Amino acid sequence: MNLPDDFVFSQTSLQDYVDCPRRFELRYVLRQRWPAPEVDDMLEFEARMEKGDQFHHLVHQHLAGIAAEKLLASSGDADVRRWFEMYLETGLEDVPEPRRPETTITVPLGEAMVLAKFDLLAVEPGGRALIVDWKTSERLPSAERLAKRLQTIVYRYVLAAGGDAFYGGQPIPPERIEMIYWYADHEGTTRRFPYDARQFAADAAYLEGLANEIATRPAFPLTPDVTRCRFCPYRSLCDRGVQAGRLEEWDDDEDEIDLTTFTLDIDQIAEIEY
Amino acid sequence: MHLIKKQQEIANAHFDTTVFAEGVAGTGKTTAAIERIKSLIKSGVSADSILVLTPQATLALPYRTALRRSRVKTAADVHTETLGSLAFRMVDLFWPLLPDEFTLKGRPHFLTLEMVQYYMSRLVEPEIRRQDYFNSVHISRNRLYTQIVDNLNKAALIGFPHEQIGERLKSAWLGDVEQTYIYDDAQACANLFREKCREYNMFDFSLQVALFRDYLWQQQPVRVYMTKKYRHLIVENIEEDTPATHELLREWLPVCESAVLIYDKDGGFRRFLGADPDNALTLKDVCKVHVELDRGRVMSPDLEAFQIAIAPHLGEKNGATRPKTGDPRGAIAYSQDTRYQPQMIDWAVEHIASLVHDQGVSPREIVVLSAFMPDALRFSLQSRLDERHVPSRTHRPSRALREEPAARALLTLARLAHPDWGMKPSKYDVTYALTAAIADLDLVRARLLTDILYRDGRLLPFEHISEAQMQSRITFDLGGRYDTLRAWLDTYSSTLALPLDVFFSKLFGEVLSQPKFGFHKRFDAANVAANLVDSAREFRQEVGKIEPDVPAAPEYVRMVDAGVIANLYVRDWEAEKQDAVLIAPAYTFLLYNQPVEYQFWLNIGASGWGQRLHQPLTHPYVMSLQWDENAKWTDAMEVVASQKALYYLIAGLIRRCRKGIYLGYSEYGEQGLEQRGPLLMAVQNMLRRLVREERHV
Repeated sequence: MNLPDDFVFSQTSLQDYVDCPRRFELRYVLRQRWPAPEVDDMLEFEARMEKGDQFHHLVHQHLAGIAAEKLLASSGDADVRRWFEMYLETGLEDVPEPRRPETTITVPLGEAMVLAKFDLLAVEPGGRALIVDWKTSERLPSAERLAKRLQTIVYRYVLAAGGDAFYGGQPIPPERIEMIYWYADHEGTTRRFPYDARQFAADAAYLEGLANEIATRPAFPLTPDVTRCRFCPYRSLCDRGVQAGRLEEWDDDEDEIDLTTFTLDIDQIAEIEY
Repeated sequence: MHLIKKQQEIANAHFDTTVFAEGVAGTGKTTAAIERIKSLIKSGVSADSILVLTPQATLALPYRTALRRSRVKTAADVHTETLGSLAFRMVDLFWPLLPDEFTLKGRPHFLTLEMVQYYMSRLVEPEIRRQDYFNSVHISRNRLYTQIVDNLNKAALIGFPHEQIGERLKSAWLGDVEQTYIYDDAQACANLFREKCREYNMFDFSLQVALFRDYLWQQQPVRVYMTKKYRHLIVENIEEDTPATHELLREWLPVCESAVLIYDKDGGFRRFLGADPDNALTLKDVCKVHVELDRGRVMSPDLEAFQIAIAPHLGEKNGATRPKTGDPRGAIAYSQDTRYQPQMIDWAVEHIASLVHDQGVSPREIVVLSAFMPDALRFSLQSRLDERHVPSRTHRPSRALREEPAARALLTLARLAHPDWGMKPSKYDVTYALTAAIADLDLVRARLLTDILYRDGRLLPFEHISEAQMQSRITFDLGGRYDTLRAWLDTYSSTLALPLDVFFSKLFGEVLSQPKFGFHKRFDAANVAANLVDSAREFRQEVGKIEPDVPAAPEYVRMVDAGVIANLYVRDWEAEKQDAVLIAPAYTFLLYNQPVEYQFWLNIGASGWGQRLHQPLTHPYVMSLQWDENAKWTDAMEVVASQKALYYLIAGLIRRCRKGIYLGYSEYGEQGLEQRGPLLMAVQNMLRRLVREERHV
């Protein structure tokens, strides 16, 4: 068993594994940090991430009950404001109540667990179950490509496997589940992915197979696709290059980059100098 | 999981009402609460409607670990919060609902403790100097700032206006007038810091808590959001929590679906941080069901006997009757004929190694504790345990970043790359930076490179060494690596400067972590570099928003040098779950609240056991809800408080031990002074009494 007994997979970690087993090992098994740049223009990259965060926060505030006018008055950045206005126009179209922003569900997967953190979960007891994911990326990926992403696979699977408490204590029938990617920078264009029992069974088999493979494999090899290494911070550790890839070539829907996982400990009240 | 009847009452019943569960530590309250969560979820309750509220984040660890391991569907989604994290989340989410004076400048800037220290030094320090505040106080600046912040925090947590800090402290003071001036100065600085926070839209912990409890919690949308979101509450160790939490619960409990409040008798170890066990106990009246657990599930009979036998010698008059089965002496082992501290350390390490290697005890089941844990003692213990191949960890897994060779090298290289800062590194620093940066470069050759090629704050090319013999001595291979590094720095210097964290990151990725350089495949150095990058980025992002005109990069380097920033820079997961012996101050271990098999108490003769910290700007007993504002703090009160604190500390430690306690004593302490502290006296008196009683029988 390569993983600790309380290990929790996520779509990002599974995607890392699929992209490069060694990256998965370094990041999640060894928890090794390697602070090299992921892209050449880190500041622009950071600015995009920051805008994305701001937008997600505004939506969360709105769904928590704060009036849109108050939020619009407080949003300074023009892009974020434009995205938020678009959200107000179409973001909640046909999204049922009750709406649960920023919801996490964790279910067993093989010997470990897998979690999905949903931007918005809208489950009508006995009715539809929508997963909405807000996207602020500049590119609009094809539906075919998104269908293969582990986010699409993991999110629908996790809701089907663990959404009982939102559905009157009964498992949500996969046919009731739909995942929607909503693109703020593309006038609210959506990519929609319905679900069904056959796909649920296939996803279960695939994800359990992956989890089992990760848990039992004797080694974690490097990906044979060296082009992936351009946007991987471990490239110098693996002797796979010096310079980070160009931001313009980075596919912001392809790679979920964990800019920082530092957890703020706001409970540190000092004077604990025993 | 086998639960006794009273635990089952907590775990499997009363899902529609409020329960007050009390008992001393080690009676299985937390275990029962974890089982309750699983039962709630299995009964159909949504995991994210369950909130585990703890006085500090570490106390949530047993919950998080157990729930993840349980493999109960969604159990890992239970939310764990502290009052501080809850206040932060609610203020961050609902700040637009605050009064206009707090919203006009947009989303607030939330200050970490590190940033509070920074802004204290930047915004309050000039006033301290101008007014000559605290001229009779001789403690480090960081501790001074900390106590000013502590006063602000206490005002928020207890619930009185921060403008009353000074008066409150002065009214309790009986001694000379000089101290009252210090309290006045502390008040002036607290006022100034709060003013500056308002001016720059900065929310420190105290302001977050004050706004949350006094304003947002009173707003209908916020209260509805919280009480609808969290229907089931598990509140751990309420005796270690503050009146702010207690008052929140007093209003929340009547409207929640269910709650369990866990109260440890004889607790209150966080009193210096505002914990109020007396106020916590008043919540018992608000709860519908009362469960008292009295059957110890941790201590062996011998340890239980030890806890009872020592109690009267620590001033506890109403101790329990000694059990018939246990022998107090069977619970303890102590060092004998140890005159000096190193002998005591050797004694402790010898026994730890034997437990681990000969008896198969897991290192995580051993803790080494002392009243305080000075760096020298910690270092000695760690290096001796290393020699015996026993893994160890401390409560602060990282040293200050500036003390780490990898961080020092990066900071020195940053100075070289930014001549415009006017912060030329010393030859000494450059030498060390080169040895850290270039693989296989020893100190002698690094010194030669520095002596010859470091001129006026810049590194010259290797070819500037005119003597071929000297070049050969350094070697062309190392010279080539040196040139790669130098050229990178030169190229960088000739372009527009990047933010410091980006500079560190690029230097690390493009040079230092590449083959033939010092950080290549060096995981420890990479971790330090990552911490430095995080710290510098956070500083740049915050300062950039609050004061865009401040040059963040040189300011950061100055602050690191001054020990204000990057002092306690620890990623939370680094401290987790290593199978290693924990070395910590006694109170820190108590606040982990996780029992172990063996404890080593070192320097039991030290006077620090039970003594409170020297805090000239504040006072934990006066800054409390329980303090009578007309009273004076007397020497007699101090003695009683110290004695009580020592009793609670010792009882708390014993109750968190399963098998045995090793008492380390050396005749002379670290400073070479004879040690005759109250804990030593209590142990000796107890042993004498046991001998007398034996003779009598």
